[in-house]
Amino acid sequence: MVEKVQKNNLLQAWLVLTLAFLFGMSLAGVQTVLGPVIEENKIRETMEKVPVVVLGEAEAAKIAHSGASLGIEPSRIAVEKEGRTKFYNVYDAKFNDGKRAGWVAKASAQGYADKIELLVGFDAAVEKITGLFILDQKETPGLGNKIVEDQWRSQFTGKAVATALTVVKTGAKKTNEIDAISGATISSDCVTRMINQTIADLGEELKNRNTENQKGKE
Amino acid sequence: MSNTSQQSGQGKASGTQGLHVAPSPHISDKSFTTQRMMTDVLISLLPLILMSLYIFRMNAAKQMIICIVSCLVAETLFVKMRDRVATLDDFSAAVTGMILALSLPGTAPWYVGCLASFVAIGIGKILFGGLGMNIFNPAMVGRAFVMIAFASLMGAAAYEDPSSLVDVVSQATPLTALKQSAIPTSIGALFLGMTNGSLGETSALACLLGGIFLCVRGTASWEIPASIIASVFVIAGIADIAGSFSGDLLMHHLFGGALLFGAFFIATDPVTSPLTFKGKIIFGVGTGTLIMIIRLFSGYPEGVMFAVLIMNAVTPLINRWTIPKPMGVA
Amino acid sequence: MADQPTAMERFVQGILPENPVYRQLLGLCPTLAVTNGMKPAITMACSVAFVLFCANIVTSLIRDLLKPHLRIVVFTLTIATFVTIADRFLAAYVYQMSKLLGPYIPLIIVNCLIICRCEVCASKQSAFVAGADAIGQSIGFGLALASIAAVRELLGTGGLFGVHLLPAAWPDWVIMVLPPGAFITLGLLLGAVNWYSSRKTKNA
Repeated sequence: MVEKVQKNNLLQAWLVLTLAFLFGMSLAGVQTVLGPVIEENKIRETMEKVPVVVLGEAEAAKIAHSGASLGIEPSRIAVEKEGRTKFYNVYDAKFNDGKRAGWVAKASAQGYADKIELLVGFDAAVEKITGLFILDQKETPGLGNKIVEDQWRSQFTGKAVATALTVVKTGAKKTNEIDAISGATISSDCVTRMINQTIADLGEELKNRNTENQKGKE
Repeated sequence: MSNTSQQSGQGKASGTQGLHVAPSPHISDKSFTTQRMMTDVLISLLPLILMSLYIFRMNAAKQMIICIVSCLVAETLFVKMRDRVATLDDFSAAVTGMILALSLPGTAPWYVGCLASFVAIGIGKILFGGLGMNIFNPAMVGRAFVMIAFASLMGAAAYEDPSSLVDVVSQATPLTALKQSAIPTSIGALFLGMTNGSLGETSALACLLGGIFLCVRGTASWEIPASIIASVFVIAGIADIAGSFSGDLLMHHLFGGALLFGAFFIATDPVTSPLTFKGKIIFGVGTGTLIMIIRLFSGYPEGVMFAVLIMNAVTPLINRWTIPKPMGVA
Repeated sequence: MADQPTAMERFVQGILPENPVYRQLLGLCPTLAVTNGMKPAITMACSVAFVLFCANIVTSLIRDLLKPHLRIVVFTLTIATFVTIADRFLAAYVYQMSKLLGPYIPLIIVNCLIICRCEVCASKQSAFVAGADAIGQSIGFGLALASIAAVRELLGTGGLFGVHLLPAAWPDWVIMVLPPGAFITLGLLLGAVNWYSSRKTKNA
């Protein structure tokens, strides 16, 4: 029997096909079971951060503790720029009573080493930045990767949306200045520029939506 | 240096044997030994040493002692591990230590100099087979290691030191200041060295004095520094005109940073630079161009170290290209 | 088949005498890429162990049915299947780690260690021997990865498994967690292993 399989080319072809079929089936099975879990992981990663970015760590923990949660409604906003269309994932966070808590936008752009992906939160009226969270980065360990640290990120909290942010190397003094991480000016610059860009692209659109919603309520 | 030590070896051999047959070059200068070359280098480094002691005071002294002692210890240790006779008396380890110290900021903590020395001697030199066999300039290998390992201690912030002589020293290096905040430093200060930077790189005057001595003595080949400086001059000049900095940028790139120090003392290391005239020019132009590419377009304000290391890597290739062919061979 | 090593020999050989990294210099891509911390290194070692074990068993079971010239196709098919399973599994249950390891889990498919074991051992010997071989090689691979990762993480961040161990004054050698640190560490450890074993043979 074994001899026969080894000698016959047709049987060999069938053998490979059968194996491929079996492997394919097992992969399909794995994907059916694990696929939804992976998708959920990806969504949860963003969703978990939205309340923190909008309300701040303490407030978000309080809400989670009280058993309530923010209603988060994802949407996609297309921005036309220089003939190209750019898409932003925007999360509209609302309290249980329907009042808007704020907006969170997901942005990604080239950093010093690789793409940086971040969430930036705005208050309901889109006047202030409420928080920043770095989802993904591969900046230089020990220098650029300090952009994920609380201490640096918290500088952005409370900054006004109206004026563009600038990075300075020697102690931020003005309200729209951000301290660069020492030795990682480029990474600091990239993140700040991404936020400026996001505000420029989305600021008006989000403000319009906010007033529309209020009109709708009246 | 491989060449020179070989030549001196031939000299000795011909003394003991009656007939000596060797491939060219046949004329070898017996006084031209490794030891003499290294003494020359140490003498030529004197102006830089004095200048850095004057500007950075104890910081400079501390850094030099740490680097030289660590290099000597490392040399003894690693040579012993290879079961060879220690070669401390040719001063090459001391020269490596001195050049390394001069390329570090004085304020860097003790372990930076210590680690850099061990990497320089261990990985940069002994691993390749010792003096004359190394592909990369040992001091620059050590510096590159600590530069990447302790970037925050080696960057502009590391140079800030309130106890130094001049106020300027508590600021960023001239190149960093110009690149990131567009603040030019006065050319006089740049030339004399009253600015911030690594120990040996600040004073253009001292580098020129020592460098010209080296070239006149023939220990360093003048083609390399000349072609490096010329190509930096051309590229920085173009950048200056394009950016309308009215001469500031050009002067900064010539006298600021480690350009002169690197051109005269690091790039000229005979072991890691090409042998022929044409090769030396190619090496110099390549180094100068890379320095300017790194300075103008990368995240680093300074590029001498990486430029020299990259060109070290292509040196064997340059040698192969430019070695004169014997007559009659196509 | 009398001259083929037994299961026990295969198992022992994988750990040091034929260590995949230090002796055969196989599977260097993950060795260099993911050893900047103990956690990714251990995760990688476990994934490779899973793939290697499954691939060895399957290959060994079908070894008599195959014509020799078809074997590479079938090996690749088998390995790719188990790598995909491992990849999905990590993404589902340790999502952060799977993001950290990025493309290096899918790249196990081209890890020559696995195809080497399929070719050298599993396609010639019984499933039991192949399994023992896979376990031995996996332990060897895991030990090699862990030793490199331990040096790099300890020097680079002052801790192991993300827990700070060295005194707070320890200056982190950032270069050790960057790619150059991988080459330097691998080179030095490789040298140390060679030095040790050459001394052993001299003494014996």
